[in-house]
Amino acid sequence: MRTSPSPLRLRRVVPAAVAVVAMFGLAACSSDSSAVPGADPSASSAASALDEVYANAVVADAADILPDSTMAKIKERGKLIVGEALDAPLLSQQDPSNPDDVQGFDADLAKLLAIYILGEPNVEIVPPASETREALLQNGTVDVVLNTYTITEERAEQISFAGPYLESGLAVAVKADNDDIEGIDDLGGKKVIVGANTPAVTAVPEEQPTATLVSFATDPQAMQALKQGRGDAYVQDFTLLASNAASDDSIKVVGQPFTTEAYGIGLAKDDADFKAFINDWLVQIEDDGTWAKVWDATLGAAVESDTPDAPEIGSVPGS
Amino acid sequence: MDFFVDSAGPLLTALGTTIVMALVAGVGALVLGTLVAAARISPVPVLRGAAWAYTQFFVNVPLLALLILAVFALPDAGLIMPLAPTTVLVLALYEAAYVAEAVRSGVNTVGNGQIEASRALGLTLGQTLRLVVLPQSLRAAVQPIGNVMIALTMNTALAAAVGVVELTSAVNKLNLVQAQPILIFTAAGLVYMARALVIGLGAGRLERKAAIVR
Repeated sequence: MRTSPSPLRLRRVVPAAVAVVAMFGLAACSSDSSAVPGADPSASSAASALDEVYANAVVADAADILPDSTMAKIKERGKLIVGEALDAPLLSQQDPSNPDDVQGFDADLAKLLAIYILGEPNVEIVPPASETREALLQNGTVDVVLNTYTITEERAEQISFAGPYLESGLAVAVKADNDDIEGIDDLGGKKVIVGANTPAVTAVPEEQPTATLVSFATDPQAMQALKQGRGDAYVQDFTLLASNAASDDSIKVVGQPFTTEAYGIGLAKDDADFKAFINDWLVQIEDDGTWAKVWDATLGAAVESDTPDAPEIGSVPGS
Repeated sequence: MDFFVDSAGPLLTALGTTIVMALVAGVGALVLGTLVAAARISPVPVLRGAAWAYTQFFVNVPLLALLILAVFALPDAGLIMPLAPTTVLVLALYEAAYVAEAVRSGVNTVGNGQIEASRALGLTLGQTLRLVVLPQSLRAAVQPIGNVMIALTMNTALAAAVGVVELTSAVNKLNLVQAQPILIFTAAGLVYMARALVIGLGAGRLERKAAIVR
C-alpha cells in the first residue's frame, strides 16, 4: 500500500490548492476594502491644514520638565511611546500608502504631545488591544494611551486619566433601507451588533434589556456584519459611525447619541506630575485654537455640525 | 474579586458554550479526520489527491483567517449561517486535518506484512482499513489526537473574534467594565489550562489501556 502521492500527482494538486486559497483571499480583501477611508479626497487638504498647526505647535518650557519625572524620562529617551489604534478612521488610522503615517484626532494629538515634550513629533506607536490598555500602562510599556479611552471610575482605580480631551456618545446605525429603527428606543427585542471592547457592550443592555448583543472584534467586522444582516442595528461611537456612513452609503446613522462618553489620556496610576503636565498642555492647545483645528481636520470632516467646545478638564468622575 | 461572583451566571453560560463547541467540533474532527486519513492511504489516486489537498489547505491557512472567511466572506457569496454553528463547522474542518495527520502517523506503525496478509486472505480495501489498519492506527494515535483536542480546546477562544459569546468573549466583556486584565485573563487562562489538563490526563489513561505491546 502506498502512503504518499507521487511527485507527479503533487504537481497537479498544488496549482488547484493555490487557486482555491487565492480565491478566498481575494474575497476577503474585497469585502474589507470598503472600510478603509484612505481614499477620502478631503484628507490631503486636511493634512495641509494641519501643517500650520504642527509648525506652530506649543513646546513646554524647560522648567516644566521636572527632574526625575516621566516627562524627563521621555525627553531623555527621545520619543513618546503611545498606545493608539491603527484602524480607527478619523481617530487613529494608518495611511495604507504610507505606513509610517498615522492620522486622525487621537494620532495628531499624540504627535502634538510629543512636540510639547520633545520639540519634535517623535512617536512610537504600540497598538493596544483594548483589553490590555490598563496592563500596558501599569507595566510601563507605553507612556500614555490615546485611544478613545472612556473615563470610568473602575478604570480610574487601576490607572489615571488626564483630560477629558474629547466628548462623544454612542449612536445607532442601520442599513440605509431600514425605516423601522429610528434610534435606541426602537432596539427592544432586536439583534444589536456592538464592538467587543466598546462601551456599547454595557450601555445597550442598560437602555434596552431585551436586545440581543452580537459582538465583533473590530469596527470593519461589525460594519460587514450589519451589511450582511447579522443584526438589525450597530451601536458604536457617533463619530466612528458618522465616518463609516460618510464613506459607505449602504448604512445610515439614526437618532442622536444616547450616551455621553468622555475620553481621557490614560497614564500610569498616581503620576500626579505627569497628569498635571498633560492637563496643562490640553488647556494650552484648547485656548490657542489648536484643538479646534485638529478636530476640524479629522472628525469634523465627517460630522455635519459646528466645531464643539473642548470638554472641561477634570469634569468627569475618574478624571 | 467580588465581580467574579456577581457575573458567575453569564460566565458559566459562556463556559458551557465553549465546552459544547469543543465537544461537537471534537467529535466532528475525529470522524472527518479518520475518513481523510483513510482516503490519504487509499489506492485510489483521486481520493488520495483530494485528501492531500484538504490537509494542506487546512494545515496551512490560519484558523482565524478561516473563521473570518466563513463568517464574513461566505455571506457575500450567498451563504449565511448562524455564528456558533459556522464556528463549530470551521473548527471541525480545521482540526480534522490535524487528526488526519495524527491517524496517518498511527498507520505507519502497522506493519506492511499485516496489510499484505489481509489482502491474501481476500479482504476488500474497506475491510482491511476497518478491521486491520484503522483500529491499530487509532490506538497508536491516541496521544497525538489528544494533543489535537487540546489545541482545539484552546482554539475555541478564537470564536470570540467572530461574535460568538464563549468564555473569552465573556471575560473580555467583564474586563471592559472592571479594567483588571491581569487578574481576569489569568483566571480565564487557568480555566483553559484545567480543561487541557483533563484532556491530557484522559488521553494518557486511554493510551495505557489501548496501547498495543509489540
